[in-house]
Amino acid sequence: MNWKHVMIVFKKELKDIVRDRKTLFTSIILPIFLMPLLFLLIGGGTEKMSEEMTTDITVALTADSYSEAAQWFLKESLETQDEDITIIEPVADPWEAINSKQAKLVVSLDRDFKKKLEALEPFTLKVYYDGSLSRSGGAVGSLMSAIDKLNEGIAVKRLEAMGINPQILTPVLVETENISRTGDGNILLMMVLPMLIAMLVAVGGIPAATDLVAGEKERMTFEPLLATRPSRMSILMGKYLTINLFSFASVIATLTGMLLAFFINPDALSMGMGEIGGFNLDTGTVILCIAVTILLGMTFSGIQLAISTYARSFKEGQTYLSLLMFVVIIPAYATMMVMPNDIQLYMYLIPVLNTISAFKLVLGGLTNYTGLILAMVTSLVYVVLSLLTAAAMFRNEKYLFRS
Amino acid sequence: MLELNGLTKRFGNVTAVDNLTFTVQKGEIFGLLGENGAGKTTTLRMLATMLKPTSGTARLAGFDVVRSPEEVRRRVGFLFGGESGLYDRLTVYENIQYFGELNDMHPREIKKRIEELADIFDMKDFLNKRAGKLSKGMRQKASFARAIIHNPDVLLLDEPTSGLDVGAMREVQAFLKVQKEKGKTILFSSHTMSEVEKLCDRIAVIHKGSLVDMGSTDELLKKHGTQTLEDLFMGLVGGSK
Repeated sequence: MNWKHVMIVFKKELKDIVRDRKTLFTSIILPIFLMPLLFLLIGGGTEKMSEEMTTDITVALTADSYSEAAQWFLKESLETQDEDITIIEPVADPWEAINSKQAKLVVSLDRDFKKKLEALEPFTLKVYYDGSLSRSGGAVGSLMSAIDKLNEGIAVKRLEAMGINPQILTPVLVETENISRTGDGNILLMMVLPMLIAMLVAVGGIPAATDLVAGEKERMTFEPLLATRPSRMSILMGKYLTINLFSFASVIATLTGMLLAFFINPDALSMGMGEIGGFNLDTGTVILCIAVTILLGMTFSGIQLAISTYARSFKEGQTYLSLLMFVVIIPAYATMMVMPNDIQLYMYLIPVLNTISAFKLVLGGLTNYTGLILAMVTSLVYVVLSLLTAAAMFRNEKYLFRS
Repeated sequence: MLELNGLTKRFGNVTAVDNLTFTVQKGEIFGLLGENGAGKTTTLRMLATMLKPTSGTARLAGFDVVRSPEEVRRRVGFLFGGESGLYDRLTVYENIQYFGELNDMHPREIKKRIEELADIFDMKDFLNKRAGKLSKGMRQKASFARAIIHNPDVLLLDEPTSGLDVGAMREVQAFLKVQKEKGKTILFSSHTMSEVEKLCDRIAVIHKGSLVDMGSTDELLKKHGTQTLEDLFMGLVGGSK
């Protein structure tokens, strides 16, 4: 292999592909604009949904259980517990009222609730909600906590009237404190970002790979190229470097898009789940994580080059390479919910999962050098194997001149 | 300059080229005449080191195509007809320059040679246009220029005038004659009889991968008692069908 020839091929491929608007658009430009749009839309939607569940909670009494006393009781006892709760006029049909957005929740009271209340007996307050509607199902929590406060208030008054210290009902005082060193919003980032990066690194080079060998075969430019002085390995390496560059460029474009989304609306990336930040980054972990990611890109570039060499035409190349996406997407989604503490050692040995695991560690502020070094060593083996496969395909005239 | 000795290529059970033996001298235009699928392209691909022979040998300027492929490629200019194989998104200049760089030419030398070739092929008007926007004739001229940018000793031309109009075809033929005068060895594959008759010093008729006969046009016409090359070809190929 002659590095001068490698660089000549690499520079030419780069120039050629940069002039290909289609490849440039799908690999670089689209992610920069699509990511902010995607996160802002999804983030905005989640925020709106959460707002709908916790604010302006309209509660109606059923017509069957309506009485002036019941209406007054609800207004006095629930509206005072939560300023977002509003008691509205009674409704005949709970389902109709909720689905026509007249009320978010409907309640009914025992007709003799007042008598029971005065006799210190329990009475039933039934809550109707539609679980298929987030604005109704999600509002139940707010109403329940208002009812809990109401129960507590009534119980305290009754105990005081009996001359009993209400504290007798609370033998254990519970205190909670969130001691996480990272922002709450990082949880969502830990689920989405590693998956996204691993997927992009693995498939980002596909447009370039399809064009560089299968495309060349179809355009009949491949044979004149093979008849020039450079060895096949120099040509292969020039193309391999181009595919690598494109897979990383697509990752950088996507991360730029995500950063843009973050600057436009900081809550967009966490989708309203809390603040993002407070990363506790360990330099060694970050370096190993980047190394594993680069090696994943190199492995998949080799695989893509081998597949593109096998393909007879651009279209055939596209078909085979799109199947490769499933190989990446399935493990990526399967481990989406895995948190940094739950990563198993075997995950560091499997391509795609190793990169996802490394990024989860970084975002979770954890370190696992054994796992990361194992990931790096095995990734190196995968790079060599994928390159050897691509080289074998490139040397084999059966695949190179398949028609 | 070019020696083929029992050159054979098999793809599985199919023998594409069967025991071809001939030599081509320096400054000679040698025609490979045969129908589609006769084995002409496979022969040229083996000589350009793209395909490895199953058996037999081929030497180009003394270098074996299997043992010294890089030395062989250094001395060869390879051109396909029909499809010009240019990079559409690069300009004509960039296409030719790329092949100059691949053949280890110095940038100054490349620039000078492109200017020279632009004169020969009358390409100055479209030298900086993207190849994808050119007519077939212009593309073929650019392909020729690209194939010979490194001034190779041997030209392997696979139906180079295929699809060209009469004017462009004449320009190519004139160019080949000049190259012959310059001492270049040209192996030329075609199925256009008139072109072969006009250009080639000697021809080899191949059919189903095998050499049927070989010699100058006059020798072959006399030997087989035919008036035209077409009759000769049909007699040779038809007879072996």
